[in-house]
Amino acid sequence: MAIGSQTLKVGTFQKHLLKRNQKRKARKRLMIAGLTLTSMVDMFSLLVIFLLQSFATSPELVMVTKGVTLPAAISAQELMDAPVLSLSTEGVFLDQKLIGSVDELLHNPEPLMDKLSDLRDLWQKTHPTEKFKGEISLQAHKDLPSTIVSQFMGMLPSQNYGLIQMAVVSKGR
Amino acid sequence: MASAGGAPASGGGRRKSLDPEINLVPFIDLLSTCICFLLMTAVWMEIGALQVKQATGTEAAATTSKSVEMDVRFTSPTKIEVALKGGAKHAPKIVVADADQTARLTHLNAELANLATTLKLDAKADLKAQMGQLISVARVTTTTGVPYGDLVAVMDLLRDHGIVNLGVVPVRN
Repeated sequence: MAIGSQTLKVGTFQKHLLKRNQKRKARKRLMIAGLTLTSMVDMFSLLVIFLLQSFATSPELVMVTKGVTLPAAISAQELMDAPVLSLSTEGVFLDQKLIGSVDELLHNPEPLMDKLSDLRDLWQKTHPTEKFKGEISLQAHKDLPSTIVSQFMGMLPSQNYGLIQMAVVSKGR
Repeated sequence: MASAGGAPASGGGRRKSLDPEINLVPFIDLLSTCICFLLMTAVWMEIGALQVKQATGTEAAATTSKSVEMDVRFTSPTKIEVALKGGAKHAPKIVVADADQTARLTHLNAELANLATTLKLDAKADLKAQMGQLISVARVTTTTGVPYGDLVAVMDLLRDHGIVNLGVVPVRN
């Protein structure tokens, strides 16, 4: 075999290639054998500690309706279990069920009032010894006109829902 | 040092190694399961609530002559007026106007802090508790062009100053 002006013996070159392959294999084996798990276990432990610290024990009571971005507030309290009225640009939802569009319900609130009345009756049946608290959770998109939200809030007391919980995203001080 | 696999004991197998080998594989399995569970059940957005008590039936007229009512009014999307009604305590009307929402809220926050001095509350005692006792209810009246987020921000500020009994006046567009 001729490379440039030099002539190499075939046997020598093959030996060289074999040696190189053996060296590579030996290097690879060393790399696998040298893998330490300590750093990975450290990282896992840190992750577990962080996730345990941020673990919320109270169950998530509400699902935020699609199309609703809640406003943020500092002085938010814990949310109580209550029917959820959602106002979004896509419509008005009561417990995730579409009742109608905002404009329709502002002109004719009967469908919403009927549903609220049904929910109240159901609550009374399941809690015969207790007085109806009138709690309702209100989710409204932060960019909705506040006049629309105020009108819906004004309708709720007619069905004895006087304690309105305005759902917000809790933010730190 | 702990490692994933066991190493052969030195010294011809007669003596046991003084460096005990801990099998890390089950430990890593446990940590991985913990991480998966915590990641799946983590609550990334904490939802809270601002309590609003809407007057029902004759409740609105049930306030005593000694109690002070706060009237918070959006006269325009960029202007807020705060006035006290009833009771023995008097304070000049607060007017806050700014196109920037953050600046407007900062100004209102400062004015509400000054209100404690104007009403001659005991600076040594808890000002928020005193404010809450003095002001029986704060009614917020919105106007056209005010987003719901701005209304919530003002109500959040009132709550932060100890005024916990809040109501929203229904306003038509």
